[in-house]
Amino acid sequence: MPQIIKGLNIPVNRVEGDLEIRVDVTDHRIDDAWSSGTMFRGFESMMEGRGALDGLVITPRICGICSLTHLSAAVKALDTIVGVTPPDNAIRLRNIALMAEIIQSDMRQTILMYMADFTNTQAYQSHPLFKEAMDRYQMLKGTSVLDVIRKTKRLIEVIAIIGGQWPHTSFMVPGGVTSIPDTPKLMQCHVIIDQFRNWYESRVLGCTIERWQAVTSLKELDNWLDESPKHQNSEVGFFLRFARKAGLDTLGTGTDTFISFGNFPFPQNTDVVPLNQSNGDACPEKGHNRLLTTPGFAKGIISQNLDAARITEDVSASWFDQKECALHPFDGNTKPYASGNTGEKYSWVKAPRYDGLPAETGPLAEMIMDKNPLFHDLVRQKGATALIRQLARITRPAMLLPAMGIWLNEVIAHRAEPFYTSVKTIPDGQGAGMLQAARGALGHWVKIKNRKISHYQIITPTAWNGSPRDEGMNRGPWEEALKGVVLKDLENPVEAGHVIRSFDPCMVCAVHTLKKDGGTGKRFHTGWTF
Amino acid sequence: MDHDRAGLLVYDRLSTKKLPEHTELIEGGVSGLNLLCFLENAATVVFVDTVSGFTDPGGVVVLTQHQIETASHPLHYGHDAGVAYLLAMMPQVCEMPLPRNIFLVGLEGQCSKKTINSAATLALSIIESKIQKGLVKAQVD
Repeated sequence: MPQIIKGLNIPVNRVEGDLEIRVDVTDHRIDDAWSSGTMFRGFESMMEGRGALDGLVITPRICGICSLTHLSAAVKALDTIVGVTPPDNAIRLRNIALMAEIIQSDMRQTILMYMADFTNTQAYQSHPLFKEAMDRYQMLKGTSVLDVIRKTKRLIEVIAIIGGQWPHTSFMVPGGVTSIPDTPKLMQCHVIIDQFRNWYESRVLGCTIERWQAVTSLKELDNWLDESPKHQNSEVGFFLRFARKAGLDTLGTGTDTFISFGNFPFPQNTDVVPLNQSNGDACPEKGHNRLLTTPGFAKGIISQNLDAARITEDVSASWFDQKECALHPFDGNTKPYASGNTGEKYSWVKAPRYDGLPAETGPLAEMIMDKNPLFHDLVRQKGATALIRQLARITRPAMLLPAMGIWLNEVIAHRAEPFYTSVKTIPDGQGAGMLQAARGALGHWVKIKNRKISHYQIITPTAWNGSPRDEGMNRGPWEEALKGVVLKDLENPVEAGHVIRSFDPCMVCAVHTLKKDGGTGKRFHTGWTF
Repeated sequence: MDHDRAGLLVYDRLSTKKLPEHTELIEGGVSGLNLLCFLENAATVVFVDTVSGFTDPGGVVVLTQHQIETASHPLHYGHDAGVAYLLAMMPQVCEMPLPRNIFLVGLEGQCSKKTINSAATLALSIIESKIQKGLVKAQVD
C-alpha cells in the first residue's frame, strides 16, 4: 500500500525566513507543491504619495544583497519618465557597479548557500567526495567559504568607489550619476577587478575565461572536465563532479518557460559586443539601443522578443485585494487582504505571468536568451535541471567580467566627458525600469502625478520563480520543479533544497534580529541541516 | 512604534548629535556581510540593532562581543545574516587590526521614543568612554 503524506512542510528557512514549502508525497515522491511567502512587506504602498525621487532611496532597502539593482530599476523608470538618455560615462559606471553586485551575489550564493548543502552529513556521508566537500564548504571555516568572502568583500569596494558612499549609495540619479571617481580611484577599481578576475579564473573556473567560453556543448563540457586536474579541482569542476554523482542533473525541471528583461545598456561608443550577437541588429549604429544580455521570453530554448505589455500579476492565490485577478503592473495595486481559511489563497507573493504563463527567470534564462551554445545544448539534452540552473549562475561572471573591464577602461580613457545630463524636475508620466537582477527579471512600474509618486509596483525575480498558482491553477516555476522529486529521507529532504536553492530564492532580507538561543532569523528552524 | 525601523530611528537620533572626533556613524541597514569592511581598522565598534529574548519588551541592553557570539549559533550564511554571523567570520576574513572592543546596543520588542533615546544615549556613552583608547565606529543596523 502506498505511503501518502499530505501537506508535509519543508522548512527551507536556512535560505529564507519567510518562505514555506508544502508538499504532498507518495512513496517518497513529491506529487504536488505549494510555495508560500509568509510575510507582507508592502513597499509599493509605502511609496505612494511620496516625492518623485524617493524610490531611489527607499527601494534599495528592499534587499540587502541586491540593493543596487533596485536602485537601477528605480532610476531607469525615472529616466524613461523624463525622457533622458544618460551620457556614456554614466551608463558605463552604472553597469560596472551593478555587475560587481551581481558577481558577488553569484559567488556567495554558490559557495555559501548552494554548496553548503553538500556538507549535509545525513545525506552525503557516503558520497565519495564528501570529505572534500567538508574541507571546502564547511560552515564558518571551509577553505572555499573563507576564500569567497575575502574576494567578494574586496569586489564590493568597486561599488563604494563608484558610488562615493557605502553602504546604501544613491549615486544613480535621473540623467546619470552624481559624480565620477578621480583617475587614481578608477585605477584602484581596475586593480580590484583584475585581481578578482585572476581569482575567478584560477579558483572558480580553473581556466581562462576564453577557454571556458570555448565550451559549447555537453560533450565539450565532459572533455573540459577530463582535460586537466585544474578543471576538475576548480569550484565549477568540483560542483559538476559532486552534483552529477548526487543526481542533480536529473531533478528540478520547471515550467520550461523562461523570461529575461535583459540588462546593461550600451553607451553610444563602446568596444563591448552583446552576448547574443543578433541583439541590436535592428539598429547597429546606435549603441544605446543595445543591451549586453538579451531580453526575451522562451519556451524551451525557442525565444521570442519580449513584449512588456504581456506581463501581468495574478492574485488568485495571493492575499491581495484586486478587482481583476490578473492586471498589468501599471494597472494593479498592492492592497493586502487576508481571506481567511478558504484555502484558495496561500501566499503574500503575487503570481507574475507572461502571456498568462508562469516563467522561470535567472542566469539560465539569460543564457537561453543570449543563445549560449553550451546551455542550449544542456537544456536540449537534459532539460532545465537544478544542476544546469546552478551551473549557469556560477559561470555567469565569465560572461560579465570581460565587459566590466572594457567599460572601466573606457571610463578611464574618457573621464573628462560628461557623466550627467541635467534633469530639473520629474514631469507627470509613467515609466518602467526593467532589468536583470542577480536572481532574474526585476521591474519597477512607476507613475508620477503632481511631482509625487501616484503608483509604484515592483515585480521581483523571486515573485516569478516562487509564485503561487494563478487563475488557471498553473503552478509557479519552483512549485512545478518540485513535482516528481524523490525524497530519500523525509526528515532530511535535501533534494527539495537543491531544487529550491537552484532558483536562488530571495523572499525578504530586511529583518535582522539577534535572537537569544536561536540564530539570527525570526523563523529560524534550529537543528535543520539541509 | 515597531522595531523593524528601530536602528534607523537611533541612527537619525545620533545624526543630530555632535559625535566625538574620529567617530564614524554608519547606517548599516540591511547590508549584512557587506559590513565586514567597516570592522577593519577600528578600535571600537558599537552596533545598534533590535534583539529578541534579552530583556523585557521596550528595554535596551548592552551586549559584549562574547555575549553576542554565545547568544546564537550563526552556522550558515543566509540573506538574513546579521551581527552574529558577521562576528563569527570577522577574525578569518578581515584584515588586521581588528577592533579591540565590540558592543551591541540592543532594542527589545516594540520601541517607544524613550527606548530610541535610551539606545542613542547608551551608544554615545560607550563611544565617549572608549574614545581615549582609539578610533571608534558607531554601526547602526
